[in-house]
Amino acid sequence: MDELELLKKDWKKQEDKLPKLSYDEIYKMMLKKSSSIVKWIFIISVLEFLIFAFAELITRLGKSYEKLEEMGYNSSMSIIASIISFSILIYFMTRFFSNYKKIQATDSAKLLMKNILKTRRTVKYYVITNLVVLTISIILAVTTLFYGNVNNEFANQVLNGDIPKYVVVLMLLIIIVIAIGLMAFVYFMLYGLLTRKLKKNYEELKKLEV
Amino acid sequence: MNKDLEHNFVTHLEQNQNIVHKVCRIYTSDQDSHNDLFQEITIQLWKAYPKFRGEAKFSTWMYRVALNTAITLYRKSKRSVKTSDYDLLSFKISSEEYDYEDEQRLALMYKAVKQLNDIEKALVFLYLEDKSYREISETMGISEVNARVKMNRVKTKLKKILNP
Repeated sequence: MDELELLKKDWKKQEDKLPKLSYDEIYKMMLKKSSSIVKWIFIISVLEFLIFAFAELITRLGKSYEKLEEMGYNSSMSIIASIISFSILIYFMTRFFSNYKKIQATDSAKLLMKNILKTRRTVKYYVITNLVVLTISIILAVTTLFYGNVNNEFANQVLNGDIPKYVVVLMLLIIIVIAIGLMAFVYFMLYGLLTRKLKKNYEELKKLEV
Repeated sequence: MNKDLEHNFVTHLEQNQNIVHKVCRIYTSDQDSHNDLFQEITIQLWKAYPKFRGEAKFSTWMYRVALNTAITLYRKSKRSVKTSDYDLLSFKISSEEYDYEDEQRLALMYKAVKQLNDIEKALVFLYLEDKSYREISETMGISEVNARVKMNRVKTKLKKILNP
């Protein structure tokens, strides 16, 4: 007899040996808190949104933009930066919540995995967009420092050659690399470990279609 | 209203709990993890229950949620420590009427199933539960043809594990 058929026969006989939980035991379990991966992804994603929103808020409250204006930077730049960053935040949050609502345990295995990965990807794109915006603003700030009409001590030192330009560029590069490296590390720890199994299983199902 | 819903749900699940236990048996290898997964499946079933309108049989609907939880949603809790393989223990009690050779083959077979990956385990589980390829394909979200192809591959893989 085929091995799997033998197993099937035995499998049916196992039914009587399965544990039996009482009504009360099931009731108690039902009220417990879930520790599912979707819940963790939700928590981490909301935290990521909050961190960037807070960073923006702190920059505002700390009057960093006013300080930049005092240094001679154009004031319209800070308004544009705010509009851009809040549009990005609203766009990604809307997409995140609409994707999140699509996650249903009653979908097929493949669709469920796809929707979870999609939700998670939205937040990943949000973080990447923020890093790109950050990099662009740093580059813009440096260009203005070198070529614009910026008037402050630091800019003067750079323009007079007291501080070599390549030192400034190098310092900024190091800052950008550290920031991105830190993000990548946090991502690997949180997101990589959390979704590794999910990705593997999704790939396994997708592989069948080829 | 909410009490009614709770009562209906628990009654439904109590009657059909075998399905959940069997999923746990395929995906875990000790009693602690079994209970842990059972609990998570119960929570997920309850969360999805208000949307259960009776268009499918409760048991059919349970297969989906239970497998989805085991494959995708469930995160192993840290406390689960690997203890003895209880499948083998329970198997010994149940198989008194088999001859010795069959018993040996079965024990190896259960061990082999444990070595499969999550998706393959799901296919074997649905196969053991006598599900049609149409149902298997709908539960997994793959085409019927692919479900058959994959099932044949799993059979071959099991044979290879058993006869290296």
